[in-house]
Amino acid sequence: MPEPATDLPDLNPVIHGKLRLALLSLLSTVEEAEFTWLRAKTNSTDGNLGAQLLKLEEAGYVQVEKKFVLRKPQTLYRMTESGRKALTEYVQALKQLLGAAIHN
Amino acid sequence: MQDHTQEQELTDRLSLIENMIAEGRRKTESWGWTFVLWGVSYSAAIVFSNIGAPIAEWSTYGHREIAWPITVVATLILMFVYIAFNSRKSGNQPETTIGRAVYSIWIAMGISMFLLLLAAGIGGKLDQQMFVGIVAAMLGLTNAASSMILKWRAQFLCALVWWATAVAACFLTVALTTMVFLAAIFLCQIVFGTYGMLSEARERKTHEGTPGAAHA
Repeated sequence: MPEPATDLPDLNPVIHGKLRLALLSLLSTVEEAEFTWLRAKTNSTDGNLGAQLLKLEEAGYVQVEKKFVLRKPQTLYRMTESGRKALTEYVQALKQLLGAAIHN
Repeated sequence: MQDHTQEQELTDRLSLIENMIAEGRRKTESWGWTFVLWGVSYSAAIVFSNIGAPIAEWSTYGHREIAWPITVVATLILMFVYIAFNSRKSGNQPETTIGRAVYSIWIAMGISMFLLLLAAGIGGKLDQQMFVGIVAAMLGLTNAASSMILKWRAQFLCALVWWATAVAACFLTVALTTMVFLAAIFLCQIVFGTYGMLSEARERKTHEGTPGAAHA
């Protein structure tokens, strides 16, 4: 998914990407989720989803666990505490910006 | 113009968060069928253990003693086969704290009931009213706990029916206890399970075609 250029300096750029924001929002509702579930929920392609999840992982917002269940590979993602904190701060910043926009 | 575009983008981001949280919380599991399955299983066990005997002796230990264990084991196998098949077809659903809380209560109840009834049966301390009393009280407890976690009033009504059945089993005759037990099974397993299945189907239909983030 192409990332639009924005001039919103107060918003965390790692989270601001649409797919990354969607992924963090989804992961905030569950304990852990499989790659396939995230792909179905976001209607994204394997390549794009993998790349965005990697960015979130590098930022320390998600943790990945790879294992085999009945000899089938399974990749599980879970949100970290810093990911949860970052999402909360992002939502607060978003609300503040929207509030300012409405008042202007 | 730029302000308007920026505001629209921020609103879109907020909507995306709300949509994704709603999507993540959306219940995709379907459990109504398990209530119906177990309702049919209990009823079948009562019928099988009652063959050739008056209804008041449906759980008498003797030649009919294997009716309950066989029905329960067969139902468990059926349930696990269906869950495994369904999980293979539609993929594993992610675990949530609420989901784990609910199914852990049901699993713990199943183990407790199995151990207690088996031990009491083998030890010769289980009569028919006590059997109904234990089963109904445990089902009342589990339905009540589950309804409080899920905030589901209809399930709490089932808990009330099971508790009433447990209390009634201590005072009624064997024949009447059997009738009350069958009525509770019909209401709290078959009717409630069917209602659950219909609600789940309606919810699935409502959310069909929900767009994901790629189209947000």
